[in-house]
Amino acid sequence: MVRTASAGDLLRVAVPKGALFDDSVAALARAGYDVEGLRDPGRTLIVRGRDAKFVIAKPTDVPVYVAYGAVDVAIAGRDVLEEAALEVVELVDLRFGACRFVVAEPMSATRGAEELYRHLGQIRVATKYPRITERHFAKRGLQVEIIRLAGNIEIAPLIGIADWIVDITATGTTLRENDLRVVEEVMGSTARFVANPASLATKPDLVTDMADRLSRAVAAGEGA
Amino acid sequence: MRPATPRGFRDVLRDEAAEREAVAAALVAVFDAWGYAPVETPVVESYEVVSAAGPESGEAEPFRLLDSDGELLALRPDMTLPIARVAATRLADDPEPLRVRYLAPVFREHASFRGQARQFTQAGVELIGATGPAADAEIVALAAEALRAAGLAGFTIAIGSVEVLRALVDAAGMPDPWGTAVLRAAHARNLPEVQRLASEPGVPAEVGDAFVRVLRTRGASAAIEECRDALAVCGRPEAADGVRETYGILDELGYSDEVVVDFGTVRSFGYYTGMVMQVYAPGLGLPVGGGGRYDRLLASFDRPAPAAGFAIGLERLTIALSEAGATPKARRVDAVVGGADATACFAGAAALREAGWRVRLACGISGLDLVRAAERTDAFEAIEASGGALYRLDRAGGRADALPEPPGPPPSERFSGRRRP
Repeated sequence: MVRTASAGDLLRVAVPKGALFDDSVAALARAGYDVEGLRDPGRTLIVRGRDAKFVIAKPTDVPVYVAYGAVDVAIAGRDVLEEAALEVVELVDLRFGACRFVVAEPMSATRGAEELYRHLGQIRVATKYPRITERHFAKRGLQVEIIRLAGNIEIAPLIGIADWIVDITATGTTLRENDLRVVEEVMGSTARFVANPASLATKPDLVTDMADRLSRAVAAGEGA
Repeated sequence: MRPATPRGFRDVLRDEAAEREAVAAALVAVFDAWGYAPVETPVVESYEVVSAAGPESGEAEPFRLLDSDGELLALRPDMTLPIARVAATRLADDPEPLRVRYLAPVFREHASFRGQARQFTQAGVELIGATGPAADAEIVALAAEALRAAGLAGFTIAIGSVEVLRALVDAAGMPDPWGTAVLRAAHARNLPEVQRLASEPGVPAEVGDAFVRVLRTRGASAAIEECRDALAVCGRPEAADGVRETYGILDELGYSDEVVVDFGTVRSFGYYTGMVMQVYAPGLGLPVGGGGRYDRLLASFDRPAPAAGFAIGLERLTIALSEAGATPKARRVDAVVGGADATACFAGAAALREAGWRVRLACGISGLDLVRAAERTDAFEAIEASGGALYRLDRAGGRADALPEPPGPPPSERFSGRRRP
């Protein structure tokens, strides 16, 4: 159980560092929020703006911060939201940070994994996203053994840990460079604006206002 | 062996246990005043009963057990299912409506590393055999009164209705899997996904718009009118009428500061049929409680009856109260009674209890040691029993004065501030 750190009437916003950070800051700026402190935060993890307090977080921690009410709202990739499977309200599709979840296998694989499956009855799949992977193969009715790795998933089939990988790809370059080809699509993902359900009920004006402004910023960005 | 409680279970000790008791007592007193009678049910239920909640029960995975006969049992994941079972069987001949209350531990299985308790305590009520806006309003108003009595201020009760989304799904006239997908996305509170599904080819434009409008509007009467407009365009104006009338009653009774309408309100149990409610407290990111109408649940126990209820999570309420600095104070011991003679101690303590004191025994201890013992337990007074008389001790352990016969009111009623012996 987490109590919310009170910050007066300032909305507490988690912003993911890494790939989504620059686009997130740009979207907030286009929506009219004061993000000067976010431009060059250095090692600071909490940045106070004029009309919001920003918490810079590791992307996979963002859904946790929101679900437990440590922040009111956040920007998070659909991928990490799906993987976390926590209770948050998804309000706006921010459209940036687009990537796809794919199943991939080595181009050199002489026998397809499906054929291996028929002979061995099992396929090993390496991934950073065990929950999404499990759900995908359960839906297909394919029994797989999921191996959770923390990094460099592409290497798993090359060193014989797994037959397949499930990973995200934006352009497919990394996959090609590692001699992997896409077997199938799992899901697409973009950045989302999400809210804690309690914050949505207790601070509806602030949360809805931010959702509307971001939504308009997205629409304007696409029109341009 | 490293003695520890299993993950997600814990011991509640002294001060916290006393505070919990005080909060629970405040809730129960209100339920009682509204004519709700207590019901107790076993901690375990047959798994069949628990699975009557339906496959959409979401997060609330029951804790499963296998008994020596090989029967699959479950620790109750909430109290609504057991009470529905009792109402459908043991209380089936009682005149309706039935009003029952409970204060009981419930159990839910949670994956590791979520920081979530697997046992928690629910205080709640069920109103069985009554339907309509007045019954729904009774449930919401009672929740508000109970929370107020427990000392919580500034809470929000979000009310909505599952009928609204179901009506829109009907109006869309799409194949079943589409409707399931929409309800699932709304249930997961994924608005972009609802938007995507609502704009699929084949969905009438006005119905698609209505989904988005309905899930976006929240607030007071204006939100309901907005929702009614959206529904009217789809030919289903009546779907929001229940919420409208319920809110109307609550508004007239002066609950409009606490109650908001939010058609995005969802509950993790799949058995809700009409109004659903979720209670939020300031400073707490998780709901303090919730409930709603479940008119079809009793039918799955072969005794169809409309019903509604709500439960408040005692642990979360206690945290919300402490966030607000409104934790009820645990009552202090009035006196520690010592003295060389055990019989005199017991007799002296008994006389004080007779006068309404909360008294702890410390037989065999006198003087300064007795004062120390009183300080350790945060008692108001250190009292020495000797030769049939009772002496109040001063800080140094000397006899300050003798208590008159009979002793006066307990110190807890005399002192407002802190005073130590």
